[in-house]
Amino acid sequence: MNDDTILEFQNVSKVFPGVKALSDVSFRIQRGTIHGLCGENGAGKSTLMKILSGVYPHGTYDGRIIYNGQELKLHGGAIRQAAEQGIAIVYQELTLIPNMTVGENVFLGREPVERGAINWDRLYSDTQLILKRYGLDLHPQDVVKDLGVGKMQMTEIAKALSEDAKVLILDEPTSALSEIEINKLMDILRTLKSLGMTCIYITHKMSEFFEITDTITVLRDGKVVTTQPTKDITPEKLVSYMVGREMKERFPKSNRRPGEVILEVKDLHAVRGEREVLKGVSFDLRRGEILGIAGLMGSGRTELVMTLFGEFARITRGSVLVEGREVRITDSHSAMEHGISLVPEDRKRHGLVLGQSILNNISLPNLDRFAGFMRINRNAEVKESLRMMKELAIKAPNLYVPAESLSGGNQQKVVIAKWLMSKPKILIMDDPTRGVDVGAKYEIYKLMNDLAENGIAIIMISSELEEVLGMSDRVLVMWQGKSNGLLPIQEATQESIMHRAAGLM
Amino acid sequence: MADMTVAQPGREQSSTASPLLQLFRRNVQTYTIIIALILIWLVFTIATGGGYLSPQNISNLFRQMSVTSLMAAGMVLVIVTGGIDLSVGRLAGFVSVVVAYLQANTWYQIIPNQPALSAVLSVSVGLAVGAAWGIAQGYIVAYLRVPAFIVTLGSMFILQGLILLQTEGKTIPANQPVFSEIGQGYLQSELSWILAVVVIALMFLFMFRDRVNKQKYGFPLSPLWLDIVKNVFYAGLLVLYVYAVNLYQVAPGIPYPVLLLAIVAVIMTYISTNTRFGRHAYAIGGNREAARLSGINIRRNIFLIFVLMGFLSGLAGIVLASYVGYGTIGAGAGYELDVIASAILGGTSTLGGVGTIPGAMIGGLIMASLSTGLQMLNAPPATTYVVKGIVLVAAVLLDVYFKREGK
Repeated sequence: MNDDTILEFQNVSKVFPGVKALSDVSFRIQRGTIHGLCGENGAGKSTLMKILSGVYPHGTYDGRIIYNGQELKLHGGAIRQAAEQGIAIVYQELTLIPNMTVGENVFLGREPVERGAINWDRLYSDTQLILKRYGLDLHPQDVVKDLGVGKMQMTEIAKALSEDAKVLILDEPTSALSEIEINKLMDILRTLKSLGMTCIYITHKMSEFFEITDTITVLRDGKVVTTQPTKDITPEKLVSYMVGREMKERFPKSNRRPGEVILEVKDLHAVRGEREVLKGVSFDLRRGEILGIAGLMGSGRTELVMTLFGEFARITRGSVLVEGREVRITDSHSAMEHGISLVPEDRKRHGLVLGQSILNNISLPNLDRFAGFMRINRNAEVKESLRMMKELAIKAPNLYVPAESLSGGNQQKVVIAKWLMSKPKILIMDDPTRGVDVGAKYEIYKLMNDLAENGIAIIMISSELEEVLGMSDRVLVMWQGKSNGLLPIQEATQESIMHRAAGLM
Repeated sequence: MADMTVAQPGREQSSTASPLLQLFRRNVQTYTIIIALILIWLVFTIATGGGYLSPQNISNLFRQMSVTSLMAAGMVLVIVTGGIDLSVGRLAGFVSVVVAYLQANTWYQIIPNQPALSAVLSVSVGLAVGAAWGIAQGYIVAYLRVPAFIVTLGSMFILQGLILLQTEGKTIPANQPVFSEIGQGYLQSELSWILAVVVIALMFLFMFRDRVNKQKYGFPLSPLWLDIVKNVFYAGLLVLYVYAVNLYQVAPGIPYPVLLLAIVAVIMTYISTNTRFGRHAYAIGGNREAARLSGINIRRNIFLIFVLMGFLSGLAGIVLASYVGYGTIGAGAGYELDVIASAILGGTSTLGGVGTIPGAMIGGLIMASLSTGLQMLNAPPATTYVVKGIVLVAAVLLDVYFKREGK
């Protein structure tokens, strides 16, 4: 590792009306390293990256950014300037156009043109060149919508790299990836590093910092807490830097005692269109229990819970019993009638009406409770929603602010509130802490424990094994659309789960 | 965005600002178009040397907006769910010729000399035709899943054909007694005043009932004076209107179509804000997937909205036939433009999820204000179209600008 600095922040401050999003941020990033940027939601990471990518142009912030020995001055209105200077960014949400090919996406906005027409041969051969140089396992003429999330992510990276990037910013690149895809991404990053690329890596998954980064900068409340070589930091220390206090335990304790069986699934098969998505799933769920579902992306985890919720696939064989009686759930409405609620995986797409108020979001599935023959009792609706907001400690100025203005953790709480109000007996939570920062994660865990102690049966899907191990009473492992083991927590270890998830057992 | 709001957890909404200012901030969009409306009135008043605010014109203005605004009330919900209905103008036109045909050629053969019964039958058939068309369109859009744009575009062609077929290219008179009252009649001056008093009394009654209810739930109340000021303001507008139309000597009183529009607007506002049906519509437009997973029957909701739209188009068609006094091949042509423009001027988002009925009513009033004003100035119809187009785009431009400034 050489010692020269490619990028330096000098006393960078950014003020929004009424908020100081960044204050006096100073740190250096060394050429050819992977630099982790770490902090809770709201710590200022995104604001900092927006300054670096030119969303907030030069002059709208205080302080200086030195890039390659010169002050970086990006002007407003020209979004591509940063890219032209070699600073490329891969956003958390994919920004690809699904109906176009990999090549078209990579060169979107700067297609090679000859006499007014696009030179397709050059476009695809250039794409091929980039893919090869960085070892990206893609074909330039694949249509993006047919690719998996992992390959879409690669396309996104290829797009960023295609402009001769010197600094690559990755903003939570793994939040939608499976373990295997994450490993592949890590390999790609190592390749990039060996080619001399500098990366800024942002994630919510602690383990990734320790796996891939050389240096970590921790931000909290818009200030730099520390910048240290990764090898000098322990996970516990990192968490305490982030939240500003010692976090003794990541998972709160609970002394719940699961009761009788409330849900039984026997040999469930289901198809969606032509494709068989579930090929024999059996398990049972008890009152007051948290059942973790582990499995790789594509193993049928989400498909299973969506099917139980009546919304995804058609059941062709097997049975579902709620409280001992066989039920046929045909849509989300009938699921709710049987006491099943679902906190969906993607809260922005499936969980919230982002532009509407917290109030409207919470009461949406519960309007029946406030509606008389013709009229919704607004007052009762507000009162109940206020109670939920307090119970779940949703941090917001009031009930009427739009859901989109909340942080990830608080948005997730709104989704949970919405489903809790329907008084479920069975609560399905699909990746409940995805994109949620450490402090808010802990609160959601505590909430889950409370619910279980009150007799609600919880099914939790999680991509993070530690979370499954830390929260569950039993773990159901999915593999290729089948259940591959239902382990009591005492027998569940990272290894035993991964073995089953990979079909090795 | 999310980042900024959490960086300062304890921040409260700027509660130090006066309640009036807060009220204004919350409704910038509504006030923008009200200001636009006032400006338009001001310009025309000056240009016509005050003639624009004459009792005659005020009376005409509101009556003129009634046909398209009846449909705009439904269009808001259609657009809110993310749809569009291009067929409304032609549907209203078709209903108007059907009704005119019945009035002119059918009833006098079956039930001669019974104008009242004839009118009732015509209205029933007109509403039924509108609703039936809505059922067909709604079914194809919601259950057979053909995009609303295409279904209603096709529907527009079909209706155009049906109008030609029905009229055979001729003008059909619809100026029979009783029936013509619907579009041309007036509520007598005295009755108009009584109605105004009753409405104002109800407004205050509802205000106090709402406060009592809120208190029962232990919610903080907005200051009493603010509620009273608001109500007094609206009451004042109502009194001014009734006073103005009563001064119109040819036909003093509130025109029936305006009365009808007011009733429809109140009912539609209520439906959109206070019923499950209405709230679901906004959720569907805001995020279809989230709505579906919340147990909302999306297809039924969209189907019903098209039925409602068809019904309102039928109602508009009846008023149209009665108001102009005949049915022609040109009936309702181009009305869909005014209807959609009214809804959008009123703040309805073409992206879905956002829009209000009162907003659309003000939008409709702006459209009618432009038409009548330019007519008074003897401007050619060409000018009217150009001005309407400019106002529509300018209004949305202003709105976009304000929203960006706000952020």
